[in-house]
Amino acid sequence: MHLFSQFLIAGLIMGILYCLMALGINFIYGIMKVINWSMGEFFMIGTYVQYLLITYFIGVRYWYIGVIISAISVFFLGSFIQHILIKPMFVGIIEEKMEYATIVTISMAIFFRNVAVAIGGPYIYTPPDYASPTHIGPLPLSGNRFVALIGAVILLALFYYFMKNTWIGKAFQGVAQNRSGVQTAGINVLKFDMIAFGIGTALAAAGGALLAPIFLVHPLCGLVPTVRGFEIIVIAGLGSVPGVLVAALSLGLAESLGSVFINPSFLDIYGFVLLIIVLLIKPFGLFGKEERVA
Amino acid sequence: MQSHMDSHKKFELARLNIHPFKLKFFGLSFLFLVIIILPFFISDYWIFVFTLAYYYTILAASWNLLGGYTGQFSLGHHTFALIGAYTSALMIIKAGIPLWTGILAGIILTIIISFVLGVICLRVRGLYLALITWAFAEVVRTYIRMGYEFTGGDRGLDAPLLFDTIQPLPYYYLFSGIAAVTITLIAGIMRSRIGYYFRATRNDEIAARAMGVNTVRWKVFAFMVASGLAGVAGAFYGHSIGLISPVLGEFNEMAMVIIFVVIGGLRTQAGPVLGAISIRYLMEVLREWSEIRIIILTAIVIIIMRFFNGGFMEFFKRGKQWVQQKEVREPVSAYEKIEQR
Repeated sequence: MHLFSQFLIAGLIMGILYCLMALGINFIYGIMKVINWSMGEFFMIGTYVQYLLITYFIGVRYWYIGVIISAISVFFLGSFIQHILIKPMFVGIIEEKMEYATIVTISMAIFFRNVAVAIGGPYIYTPPDYASPTHIGPLPLSGNRFVALIGAVILLALFYYFMKNTWIGKAFQGVAQNRSGVQTAGINVLKFDMIAFGIGTALAAAGGALLAPIFLVHPLCGLVPTVRGFEIIVIAGLGSVPGVLVAALSLGLAESLGSVFINPSFLDIYGFVLLIIVLLIKPFGLFGKEERVA
Repeated sequence: MQSHMDSHKKFELARLNIHPFKLKFFGLSFLFLVIIILPFFISDYWIFVFTLAYYYTILAASWNLLGGYTGQFSLGHHTFALIGAYTSALMIIKAGIPLWTGILAGIILTIIISFVLGVICLRVRGLYLALITWAFAEVVRTYIRMGYEFTGGDRGLDAPLLFDTIQPLPYYYLFSGIAAVTITLIAGIMRSRIGYYFRATRNDEIAARAMGVNTVRWKVFAFMVASGLAGVAGAFYGHSIGLISPVLGEFNEMAMVIIFVVIGGLRTQAGPVLGAISIRYLMEVLREWSEIRIIILTAIVIIIMRFFNGGFMEFFKRGKQWVQQKEVREPVSAYEKIEQR
């Protein structure tokens, strides 16, 4: 029972951490209706920036400042990339949106991975621990995970507040609902696209900076969180925000319970099995609505 | 206007006294002859390089059928090759069945898996296929790496050789033959009624459905054909190389296939072939700079998508139009349209 509750908590924590990634992907999809396949590489850039900051500039004591700085720098990088690469999609061609976005962002992913190898080498860097191991009640818990959990909860709460209570957040909701409708209300959709891409990638980078001691720092470190993020948004149903939370927690649980009861080597497979089962029962995901294709 | 151009073209060709069909026929036979004669003039190493190039040609051409013509993005194309290779080798090693039946089993399993995945994902929207095949690719790779008692893990698996020799020549002819059959098959599909269903599905799915095309069925069919061809390529690849490993299932492989298709020319029949062979050649020449060459290639892909929207074949087309003094058609890239504003 002790072991069971320990794994239960571990699963819930991983679920919340995957949430950041999935929310970033989902936010960009909701606003622009394209999937950013290079999300894992922005995660990776976040971990590299964090590693550089805490080892050479500010020290591990101020790791939370590193998280903020890496999120902000990736926000500007993401906005810039959206401006030069994704924006033409909405100005010129409209019909081949998905094809264009898929090919360009996949190329970007491979581009960034190889740039990381070319600059930092194919090595795995290990950042120092953010906090020492702690306990929740009688259960031991890795300090890094605990700290990352708190950081993720704060970020999710901030994001929620931003979306629900600020003018810009409401404008984003409008853009997600009807792109041409909000233009009549005087919202510059193209500018909001740019900011949305920046925010989505910044969420990924903040996740990367928080999780750097767990996933370590190497060119492929964004791969696992991205695959989980994609699985989560498919389980949740594309574009559904409350669905992401439910799907992320159930994915985390499925993983940790599968690894304790079946076999820890096949961690990646349990989430995929969950996804296939959900899609067999509900083809549009748990919270997804059947969309008009037009 | 059109008839005028046609007559103009006919006049040009009549002066050269060549029928257009004959011209194409001669060109293809010449190419065929070059492919047959080529191994007698190059070293074993380069024969092997071209064998690999033909393997990637099969993957690129079949992905073009699915991603280019039908508009359904599969990001697990390399995984179907991996499944074909591993199934065939494992069946032969563990169950002791003959080699050809092993290859057949690999191909059949890829087709079954692609059918199941296709039915699950393609009912909904194109995006789901891309998302789920990506996740599927990672899951299969992890399973092969982690289930090392059965699959051999990262160390790889020794697959029995097809021709009892490590001379690259028979494998060269085998793969050029499979590539030729694949290209012919895809050309045949695209010229038949089914090809029009595929194009209609990509261009406007609702309109296609309104015209009575069962889009889900044909999307699943396209996915099965493309994945089956990838399975064929993978199964034969395993028995030609003799050692298969999970490296074959890394996402770089998929990205390379996309790079071949886009640089060659998306939605053209010769594009993926040209792209695969020329880029593989280029990559062998630039073997010293392993990361830099990928960085350059992906940058080229982004630039092509952003500014030209066509690849090699678009250049050929424009060159041909320029030579024939035709008026150049409307620009298609997004950038040019912005510039015109």
